[in-house]
Amino acid sequence: MPKNKNDILQGTLALLVLKAIAAQGRMHGYAITAHIQRVSADLLRVEEGSLYPALHRMAQDGWLRAEWGVTEKNRQARFYSITAAGRRQLELEEESWARLRDGVQRVLRYA
Amino acid sequence: MSWFARIRNVVLPNRLSDDLDRELSFHIAERIDDLVAHGMTPDAARREARRQFGNYALQKESTRDRDVFRWLETLLADLRYALRTLRAAPAFAIVAILSLALGIGANAAIFSLINAVMLKSLPVRQPEELMVVLRDSSKTATNPIWEYVRDHQDVFSGTLAYGQTQFNLANGGQVRNVDANWVSGAYFSTLGVRAILGRTLLPADDTRGCPAVAAISSSFWQTEYGGSGAVIGRTVSLDGHPFQIVGVIDPAFFGLDVGSHAQIYTPLCAKTIMNGNDKWIDARSTWYLHIVGRRKAGVTPAQASARLQLLMPGLVEATLPPKWPADAVARYQKAHMEVASVATGFSDLRTTFRKALFVLMTVVGIVLLIACANVANLLLARATKRQHEIAVRLALGARPARLIRQLLTESVLLAFMGAAVGIFFAIWGSRLLVRLMSTSGNAVALDLSLDLPVLAFTAAVAMATGILFGLAPAWRACRVAPHNAMKSQARGVADGHSRFSMGKALVVVQIALSLLLVVGAVLLLGSWRRLATVNPGFRSDHVLLLAADWRSGNESASPEQRSSLRRQMLERLRAVPGVRMASASELTPISGSGWNNDIKADGYTPAVRDDGLVWMNEVSDGYFSTMGTALVAGRDFNATDVPGAARVAIVNEALAQKVFGAHSAIGKHIQVANGNDFDPPIEIVGVVGNAKYESMRETPQPIAYISMAQDDDPGLSVNFEIRTVGPTTAIIPGIKAAVAQIAPRASLDFTTLDRQVAESLRLPRTLATLAGFFGVLALLLATIGLYGIMSYTVARRRNEIGVRIALGATQGRVIHMVMSEVGRIVGVGVIIGTLLTLSVTRLVSAFLYGVKPSDPATIVLSAATLAIVAIVAAMLPAWRAARLDPVTALREN
Repeated sequence: MPKNKNDILQGTLALLVLKAIAAQGRMHGYAITAHIQRVSADLLRVEEGSLYPALHRMAQDGWLRAEWGVTEKNRQARFYSITAAGRRQLELEEESWARLRDGVQRVLRYA
Repeated sequence: MSWFARIRNVVLPNRLSDDLDRELSFHIAERIDDLVAHGMTPDAARREARRQFGNYALQKESTRDRDVFRWLETLLADLRYALRTLRAAPAFAIVAILSLALGIGANAAIFSLINAVMLKSLPVRQPEELMVVLRDSSKTATNPIWEYVRDHQDVFSGTLAYGQTQFNLANGGQVRNVDANWVSGAYFSTLGVRAILGRTLLPADDTRGCPAVAAISSSFWQTEYGGSGAVIGRTVSLDGHPFQIVGVIDPAFFGLDVGSHAQIYTPLCAKTIMNGNDKWIDARSTWYLHIVGRRKAGVTPAQASARLQLLMPGLVEATLPPKWPADAVARYQKAHMEVASVATGFSDLRTTFRKALFVLMTVVGIVLLIACANVANLLLARATKRQHEIAVRLALGARPARLIRQLLTESVLLAFMGAAVGIFFAIWGSRLLVRLMSTSGNAVALDLSLDLPVLAFTAAVAMATGILFGLAPAWRACRVAPHNAMKSQARGVADGHSRFSMGKALVVVQIALSLLLVVGAVLLLGSWRRLATVNPGFRSDHVLLLAADWRSGNESASPEQRSSLRRQMLERLRAVPGVRMASASELTPISGSGWNNDIKADGYTPAVRDDGLVWMNEVSDGYFSTMGTALVAGRDFNATDVPGAARVAIVNEALAQKVFGAHSAIGKHIQVANGNDFDPPIEIVGVVGNAKYESMRETPQPIAYISMAQDDDPGLSVNFEIRTVGPTTAIIPGIKAAVAQIAPRASLDFTTLDRQVAESLRLPRTLATLAGFFGVLALLLATIGLYGIMSYTVARRRNEIGVRIALGATQGRVIHMVMSEVGRIVGVGVIIGTLLTLSVTRLVSAFLYGVKPSDPATIVLSAATLAIVAIVAAMLPAWRAARLDPVTALREN
């Protein structure tokens, strides 16, 4: 299967998810995919296959807190919210993303 | 994710699967809604959503794996790593595991005793339904009370009664006693206990005039009959009466008394066979039975108590003992009936040893804490060596929590290895303890097999220990700034001052705790020594005690014949070569038996009820000289004190002082209570020195000795005291031969007065021995801790010390520097330990004799001992520091 061009770069999923939740507060998995897709103007699409393992890993690492709740449509869903550790992690990820972006840009510009 | 959720994920994977299912199907449902909103048909939307989602099962699996296996995998990796690091430092591992094994093993040993004595349920069907019937909180009942309750109660689905006894297996000659139970007919069926061979006793066996039958325990079957199948129908001689064996009881069952193991069960009605009459069966004042019922389903204990209370009027009428004083009758009529659970059985051990076991548990807990501090110190030292590794990992982005977890895995692993070895110490130690608590005449039998509570306790202790001693080093290790730690490969000159403050604090704690144990040990050892050497008022050396019973063959002897048999026996014994003196008595001192009675005397009225209660004994002439008790005034019993003559008594000084004060007791009269009345007056002809009666611990008690020669109704068993010229055991054959000439079928039970006294001191002796052992162990561990920390400090400060020496510091100056640090550690430890001791030693006050728990001399002595041992241990590193060659020390850098 050829790689979809709007696949999310390895390692940035956590950044995106943390950012989304930090901005929006409590969210369930579907809302996260929808949010990222909408905000990125459909440039980025989160694969479910990566999202849920990532969410569970982040919950285990203590970056996210997970709990069951009810949506407006009265459906049971698992909601994620960010913890203090998650916010610290988000800062780190943002920094390292900025470095990566600068680095890549410099390479593209001067190489 | 919480620990709870993690454990739940491992234990209940289905639950996790459900959660995931719900979460993922929610996602698909939302997607379908979106697609439908964009104009797709529901069917197409469903297909599309599925397609977009990809392989659902795989998705689920991979998400689930994250939760469970990641956690388990990390654990396994940590364990592998821990094992590897332990293998790399075998000396450290062995020292740590052994000291933990000692600590954990000691805890497990004491706990398994507590478990066996207090916590274990009886090995019977549904023990929680079993209730003992209490009358005014008293567990004992007479046979008439039992029969009345059995025939009139309606709250139990089954009832039983039993009484403890001992039977003599030997038919004449040396006595061989075994523990046995008198049991009612429904005993085994109510308990739900089966026979493994033959049958149990049945209700039909327990009727008036029953034949002599017995059921035997499995262990008795093995030791006496080699487990032979032909045992059923054979006879066993019990107190000289033949009993037919009808069955062998389930090996798991030991009776209802925790701490003893009944070997023989005989029906209650068989008492008639033993006694030759129905007296005991109908006796309303013979209290020897426990009544137990199995609660009916749906009946609460409160209801059962209330129903039993309703039986009282009828019960009083049918069972009131005759000839009781009016106040006792009133109390009997108003008695309160109730039931209480006996799921864990009956036990005298519980009351005797509860406090002792509690003290021991505290002691071994403290030993474990000290061992923990030692291992924590070892780990701290190691953590310093591993600081570089840890710093690198931190710098590479390892989270401190992750490192702490890994270090804790290592310490918990160590603790569990210690526990695994400790279990063997525990098995051996608890059996040793039971042997220490047993006496020759009264063996303690406990089921000490490893069961779930003991294993769970050991595992919990290991877990707690592992975390306790691992947490400090792990925390410490992860708080270093990586760049400092990596740099510190090049050791700074004054490095190591603050770094070891935690290690030193641990040593301070060790010294404080070991001072507590040393003080406890000195107190208990001192009390035991005082108890063992206190003047008991008699001389216990070279006294052979003989309990002789010649009922067999003399059942029909008249009182005169019985009296003359005793006299002849005593004369024969006095003539045996090697015997210096001999006497006879009803009771021997410190034997565990006692006999007391109210007395009345000329010009003496007891201030309160029971104030006229004195200890009694009936003795022959020569008793006081044989026992070595001084005659203070008047005369001993002699040949003029015969049945027809005026009745005479001898009292001790405590009685004379209490009853007659400053007046001479000689020539005064006392009267001994007999039911509501008093017997005729007895004249006091002598006063003797105070002697211990019931225990070595007692203060002088008033004792009245009455004349054995004047007994109207002498029994057919008596105690003889024989003072020998040489070793006591050497004359036993001669004694046996002398008795055989008069009563060939007599049963004889020999012991010595020394042994009788020693056995009464088994609890203080056991406690003192253990306290001494653990005190020395604690001292040793603390000393090792101090030695270790000082060696380490000196090693870390080599450079600094080298520089000092190079700059002209003398050896004395360096030693002074190291030792003043030792002095500070020991000083602070001793101060904290003293405060601790003052607040805690009250716990052992019940076991102390002749010393207060806060005895200043003991505390000073213990503190001084501890300080000296500690300072001697620290001399070696100090001396090493002083002998340091500055050139080598400085070149190392």
